Amino acid sequence: MNFWFAVFRQVGRNLKQTWPSQFMTLLTVSLSVLIFAFFFLIYNNMLRVGDKLGDDLLLIVYLEEEPGPEMQAQLKKKILAFDDVEEIRFISRAEAYRTFSEQLGEDRDVLQDMPQDFLPASIEVVPLKNLRSLSQLKLFSDYLGKLPAAEKVQYGQDWIERFYYFTRLISIIVLLSGGLLILTSVFMVSYTIRLTILGRQAELELLKLVGATNYYIRTPFLIEGILQGLIGSIFGIVSLYALFHWIRIKFSGPGILAFFEFSFFQVTTITTIIALSIVLCAVGSYTSMQKFLRI
Amino acid sequence: MTETSSNGTMVEMIKVSKIYPPDTRALSDVSLSIATGEMFFLIGMSGAGKTTLLKLLCNMEAPTNGLIEISGHNIHRVKGKNLARLRQRIGVAYQDFKLLTDRTVAENIAISMEVSYKKPQHIRKRVRDLLDQLALAGKHDTITEDLSRGEQQRVALARAVANSPTLILVDEPTGNLDSTTTERVMRLLTKCNKSGATVVIATHDHSIYTNTKHRIMELQHGKLNLVREGVSS
Repeated sequence: MNFWFAVFRQVGRNLKQTWPSQFMTLLTVSLSVLIFAFFFLIYNNMLRVGDKLGDDLLLIVYLEEEPGPEMQAQLKKKILAFDDVEEIRFISRAEAYRTFSEQLGEDRDVLQDMPQDFLPASIEVVPLKNLRSLSQLKLFSDYLGKLPAAEKVQYGQDWIERFYYFTRLISIIVLLSGGLLILTSVFMVSYTIRLTILGRQAELELLKLVGATNYYIRTPFLIEGILQGLIGSIFGIVSLYALFHWIRIKFSGPGILAFFEFSFFQVTTITTIIALSIVLCAVGSYTSMQKFLRI
Repeated sequence: MTETSSNGTMVEMIKVSKIYPPDTRALSDVSLSIATGEMFFLIGMSGAGKTTLLKLLCNMEAPTNGLIEISGHNIHRVKGKNLARLRQRIGVAYQDFKLLTDRTVAENIAISMEVSYKKPQHIRKRVRDLLDQLALAGKHDTITEDLSRGEQQRVALARAVANSPTLILVDEPTGNLDSTTTERVMRLLTKCNKSGATVVIATHDHSIYTNTKHRIMELQHGKLNLVREGVSS
């Protein structure tokens, strides 16, 4: 018989003896991982959606008058004075009319009585990809609004603001649920190990007296913590995947979910969550041993 | 580590005292030397300090003063892995048995061999052998809580000798036993002694030491007095 055989047999005995509390801890760890991973998944997907929206981000500056070539050069110079941009396009009244007419398709007849210059000229500014924060975007928009002949700047402010605040809310929830995961993993495992230690004080005392090494006595408790983290997190992730899959099937077809392509975690993210959970549970187990296991 | 000291002394106690707070003196300046392979009887009334002396020898408690060496090593200075190894070589049958009452007889006996990583088949064989010797063969799978005091006492003894220790400390081994079982227990301890183990028996049961040719010392109010020198074989 070697050390690891003896240790795993001891782990088996411990689990058999204290299975109700072990099971409750496992459920708590699973639930914590599930809650954290759920919000983290939403956050991840929101970021991806944000990236996608950012790719299509466009600031439109409506002008009072159509600028001539000299004015266009001046405006371009002023815009670039604020920051580099991806692209600047000048749209004349005629171009705007043509585009609008194309967009109307079969209904373009409604424009028949309208003059071809009834739409304002505009500048379409595609900002750089690194211009992501709402405050930066607002600053840029304000700056563009002060350009000569600028009448109004539009970039879907309301929608972007709502999206930005929702993403921020989700990130706060992710942080909170991450805290919950840390607390439950460390404290619940620590508490369970503490109960096990207190419930088996006589046995631990005897093991010490018959010559068990510290490692022989402590390792099973550490392994119990690691198992709690491993099984609990796997269970949590599998539950989340089942939920994710169910939502995908249930809400497939036309709708908001079909518009955005939601995806599950990458293998590296799953591995990181499981590893984190294992480390936290091992820490819980270790702190309990340090406090209550006097050998 | 505990095989034998260079001069063949297993236990060496020099001016050992033990005082329990606030001021209960259990042992006073006890000096004792027990040779390797010796069978030694420690007698005395209840409360004389026999159990305390055994607890000091197995490092369950530390002395207030004095030096205790087991095979030339100061047992109270040994720590960690070395202490664990030392304890594996000391078998102790405690007066309060210290059995795991929710485990079977076999599991209780096996525990001392498991910690020193003996092979499972060796453990099984040794457990059955000891149960046969102590007339407990039918109790292999019985939960120790369901045993009588006498049976529990024998299980505690079996666990103490199971790992073939070089030093066996036995506290009142026959307190709950009838004469036939007492004889079995003494036969087992004698067998261990003959195979080289040093055996220290603390008892107040005069029937087990009256006719012995081994050394007997008596503890009275924490002081040790020689009752009879052993006859060397």
